[in-house]
This record gives sequence, structure tokens and C-alpha cells, in this order.
Amino acid sequence: MQRTKPLIRQMLLASTLAVVSWSGVAQAMNAPGVFRSEFLKGNLGWEDVTARAREEGSVNFYYWGGSDIINLWVDQVATPALAAEGVRLNPVRITATKDTVDVVIAELAAGRGEEQGSVDLVWVNGENFYSLKQQNALWGAFANRLPNSVNFEWDENDPRSLLNLRDFGVKTGFQEMPWSGEQYVCSVNRAHVSAENTPATFAQLKTYLEANPGKFTYVKPPHYLGNTFVQSVLYAHNPDGTGAEPYQKSFEELGSVELARLMEPGIEYLKSIEPLLLGGASGKPRYPENSGELDNLFLNSEVHFNCKFGVFGNHNGLITGAYPEQAEEMIFPAGNMIKNKNYLAVPLNSPHPAAALVAINYFSSVEAQATKLKTAGMPVGLDLWRLSEEEAAEIATSAPPHYGVTQQQLDDNIAPDTNASLVDVIEATWLAVIERKEDKPLADIVAQVSGELNN
Amino acid sequence: MTGQTSKPRDLKAISPWQRLLVLTMATFTIAPFAPLIIQSLAFRWAWPNILPTVWWHEQRERSPFPLAWDYVFSPSSRVGEATINTLGIGIAVTLLCLLICLPAARVLAQRNFHGKSQLEFLIALPLLLPEAAIGIALLMIFIALGLAGTYAGVIVVHLIPTIPYMVRMLTAVYQGHGTEAEDHARILGANRSQIFFRVTLPMILPGVIAGCLFTFLVSTNLFLLTFFIGQGHIITLPTLLFAKISGGALDATGAGIALIASIPGIILLIFTDRFIRNYPLAE
Repeated sequence: MQRTKPLIRQMLLASTLAVVSWSGVAQAMNAPGVFRSEFLKGNLGWEDVTARAREEGSVNFYYWGGSDIINLWVDQVATPALAAEGVRLNPVRITATKDTVDVVIAELAAGRGEEQGSVDLVWVNGENFYSLKQQNALWGAFANRLPNSVNFEWDENDPRSLLNLRDFGVKTGFQEMPWSGEQYVCSVNRAHVSAENTPATFAQLKTYLEANPGKFTYVKPPHYLGNTFVQSVLYAHNPDGTGAEPYQKSFEELGSVELARLMEPGIEYLKSIEPLLLGGASGKPRYPENSGELDNLFLNSEVHFNCKFGVFGNHNGLITGAYPEQAEEMIFPAGNMIKNKNYLAVPLNSPHPAAALVAINYFSSVEAQATKLKTAGMPVGLDLWRLSEEEAAEIATSAPPHYGVTQQQLDDNIAPDTNASLVDVIEATWLAVIERKEDKPLADIVAQVSGELNN
Repeated sequence: MTGQTSKPRDLKAISPWQRLLVLTMATFTIAPFAPLIIQSLAFRWAWPNILPTVWWHEQRERSPFPLAWDYVFSPSSRVGEATINTLGIGIAVTLLCLLICLPAARVLAQRNFHGKSQLEFLIALPLLLPEAAIGIALLMIFIALGLAGTYAGVIVVHLIPTIPYMVRMLTAVYQGHGTEAEDHARILGANRSQIFFRVTLPMILPGVIAGCLFTFLVSTNLFLLTFFIGQGHIITLPTLLFAKISGGALDATGAGIALIASIPGIILLIFTDRFIRNYPLAE
């Protein structure tokens, strides 16, 4: 008797507590942060998310607004499609993603926590994602939990999942969803360069430039387009002949001595072509600051080649008038055409997180990806082998044309991106050797810049 | 307007030297607009061609999407919304700025007090600070005040770089007039509001107009402060334009938006120029 009484009392207490806490949860579903923690714990079904998204009503999508064709796709295709799901897409066109990252971080610093910010969804990759991650400003691991997550490869054991799991070598942790997969592709102006004169290797590029000095340049590091060019040079000049492979390791694994040894021939090549670049003859090689400036040089025939991220960059350049009429794609540098992805992320203080998830789920659908490919010339971010045959066919028929090369040739020459921890060191080395003309052994320079970066 | 002396002289009547100066000035004012107008009508315009090789209207039928002015005037460009916001914010900023600066300039011009020159220097300080340096710090303050992302917030933040201009401009006109006319009016029995509206304001009106013009032009050209405090939600012509030209090259739609962005300023310049020239109290 004396034992059962406390037991009954305990049971009563426990059940009351359970009832109280359950109704508490139901009521507190609207309290800031509860939706997030319940979703991340896996307690919510997709219907709960869509219902809440309709309650939230709108989603603030921050993206680079410099392209008319992307803006038109967002306005004419994505906005009505999301409206049909009860979510009003509010596109916020920005100049630099970094400004938006700054806004999110400032809001968090000012005490605007969960559901109290202004950004729901942001188009990011590379260092901007890294900043958000470092500052704990991301909403959480959602990317493998949406209905359309099935369109992506998440299995770590499958090497093809790499670009979904790592963004410039930084673990995405499912905190961003792949949105588009890009490749570093060069275009050539056929008005000046015949097919047989088109270089496929860096040695052939140098030969071409010796005959036609000044007709090439690349975007200046630290712009990511410049960094990518330098990386592809380093891959191709890897003294061990292992290409991109050692550059997948982190700086700590590799060490500065080994990195300098790997980089030496590539850096020598970059030094040797300097006098052959645009303006190099007069001793002042001109490196454009961004892709717009390089597009202009290419359009004006000041250079004969234009290298940038854009599987359909050539097509987009032709339909917008930014490229010369006879621009064609080329396979260069053979086997070392770097591919990466860009992503959609939700900041921690997103005011409409459920609507953001619904929007991302829509952006990850075959339908959205196919229309984006067709009208905005943006390659798909989803993985084709995850799709059904009809879906893959839909994507294939939506693809804009290639000029002078085939998609298969582009796919055959893919190389992976460089580990994010090496990118900074390589960039600083370029600035020291090429821009500041520091005349020291490369190993010393690499050791010095990596030391500076770590402090 | 006042008699035969100000009858405009024929351009040929001025010396060749002066003519050259006028021509240079005209070139500097008009020249930037010519390529902008051509660019806005171009599809493909490559160096060294003086004119585009393919014009917008030639490509129009073939293009899969609205090009150049078709895009600028389509709802997707959001130029309409941006224009309304730019004008509304500009007008509100100008009026508020005037309200703050009129009394301040009067005191600075007509009274002497300890630390006046230091205060004048301090007022000019915001002109020296780059927007980029203060944007984020201001955003944090505005978030705390609940003004971030609101029109009120954007208007308030635009006052920071505009007040120095307005104060300087108004101080100068107040100094130019002295207080005699107002003293006379007071002696003759006018009350304060009568003095202000019937005597002071008409005297300083050209300066007020010039100050307003500057304030409006500065406000309608602010990008970074508008973006940070508006958190991207409040679109103005400069924020649209910056998103367009970030790639480093100005395409046809960028040129079109730039031209539209310059229209309010041009209209205002013409209007104020006429006004100031025809103003009876102008010297």
C-alpha cells in the first residue's frame, strides 16, 4: 500500500505533465524556434510544413540580380508556380551576396534571432556559405528532408555525391541545397581563331600567344574566376601527373612544403605567359576585375578567348549580345575543366522558414530545374542519374544548345574544385608572385602567406 | 527679364576662347549621355565600331526574351516600383531635411556662440565618411530601433548625408541677407509666422530651392545605405542599377535603367534653373 500510493501519484503526475507539455507544444508551435526544432527532430510531416508555409504567406528570396534572363525566370515562372502553392515569392535582387551575409550577421548580432530576421532564402556558395556556417547563422540540416531531395545523391559512399556534400571543400551539412551545377568553360572567337589553331592544353595556348601576343587574359584573383583559372593551371602542371587529386586534401594534410612543390611548375607557367597576355608586351599585363569586364574585352576582339563559369555561358552571351557573333565553346584545358555547384541556404533567423523550405523544394523539382535551364540558361543542380527516364529526357530537351562542342565532351573533361583551405593559400601566392613580383623561392612564399592567413 | 541689359548675346558675339570653354563644358555634360542612349538601343556593340553592329530593334523579333527597353518597361525589371520609391523617399527626405536645417542654419548664420566653428566642422563630418564604413553599424542601430526594412528607416538614414549639404547652403543664404528686413517687419507689427512667410522665406527662397535640389539628388543616388537599411526590400533606382552593373559591363537594360534614373534629376534641374532665373528677388 505504502509503495503503490507514490507510484499512482507518480503516474498521475507524469500523465498530467505529458498532457500539459503536449498542449504546450501545440500552442507553442507558433513560438519562435519551435518549428525549426520540431522539423529538425523529424517530428513534422511535409503537410505540416506546407500548411505552415501557407500561414506564413511569403518568402524573401535574396539572389544576384544582374542577369535579365534569370530575373525573368524568377518573375514569370517561379513566382506563379509558388503562388499556386500558397506562397508569395518576394525576389530581392542584390549586387553582392556578401552584402546579404553581412545583413544576416548584423541582425543576429543585434539580437534578431530565430524568425526575427529579414532573409528567408539566399543563393550562395563558397566563402559566403563558409561565413554563414562559421557564424552559426544557418537554419539547419534540411536538404535531405524535402520531398524533392530524392533528386540528389546524398550517399557519402558514392563519389558522385561530393558536390552535394561539399561546397569548395567545406561540408555543407545539408544546410544548403544544390541549385545549379556550373563548369569552367572557355569560349573562342571563331572570327580570329580557326579550329586547328584552337588550343586544348596550356602549352598550345602559349604557342598560340607567341604567334598572337596579347590575345588572352584571365580574371584577376582573388575573384573566384581568376582563382579557378589558376587552379586549372596547377592541376595541369602537377609534377606528379596526378592532376587535381592532391589538391583535394586540406592544407594541414598537405603541408606548405609539399604544396609549394606541387605548385612550382604551374606558377612558373603563369609567370612565363605574363608577357604574352593582354598588355603584357608593354610590361603591364591587364587582368580584368570581373567577368563583365572580360566579356567586354572578348566582345571587342581585344582577346580571342573568354574563360568563365557557365556551361551555357556561350549561349547566354549570344542571346544577350554580350558575346561576339562567332563565339564557340572549346575544350580547354582538356581534362581540367573545373566543375562545382551553387546552392540555396536558409539563414538561422529566417522569418518564414516553412515557406523557405517549400520554395527550395519547388526550386529542386524537375519542372523548376528544367524551365530554369531552358529560359535562364542555368544548368541543373540535381543529379540526372537520380531521375526517371522521362524526367531525364525533360531536362535533356530543355537544355540550350552548345556551340562547337557537345555536352558529352564537357562531361568528359570535368575536374573537381580545390579544397577551400588551399584556395586562400593559392590566391595569396598568386598575389605575391604575379602581382607583387616577390622574388623568393616559392616554398618560402607559400610558407609565408599560409602563416599570414592562419594568424 | 529685367530690362535690355540681360538680353542674351549671340554665341558668335563672344570671343573664340569663351566659345571653346562653352563647347568643352557642353561636351562634358552631354557626352556621357550619348553612349548611354546608344547602348540602351544596342544589342551587340563592339569596339571599334562607332555604332552597334546589331541594334535592339533588329534582334527584337528573334529574341526569346524581352530585350533592352522591352525589359526595362516589363514588370520584371521593377523599374516602376523603384521610380515611385525613389521619388517618394527623395521628396520626404528633402522636406524633412529642410524642416531640420532651416532653424539650424539660421542660428549658425546669425548668432555667435562658443564652439560654433567646431560645430560647423562636426556637421560636415558625415560627408567624409564612406557609406560602406558606417552601413553595417547603422543597420544594427536601426534594427534595435525597429526601423530596419521600413520606409521611415530609409528616410531617416538618408538625412545623414544630406543634412550637411542643406545646412551649408542655407547658412550661406542667411548670411547673405542679414536681419534688417526682418527687424523692420517686426517693428511694423508683423508676428513671427508673418515674418517668416512674408519676409524671410521669399528672401532666402533661391537658396532653399538650391538646397532642396542637392538634397533630392543626393538622396536619389544613395545605394549602399538604402540597401542596408532597407534590407533589400525597398527597391530604388540606384539599388536596381547597382544590381545590373555589378558584372562590370553596362548592357542595354543597364543603360536604360541609368537613363530612367537620371530623368527626375534632369526635370528638377530644368525646373529649378528656370525658377531661380525668373525669381524677382534674385540678384
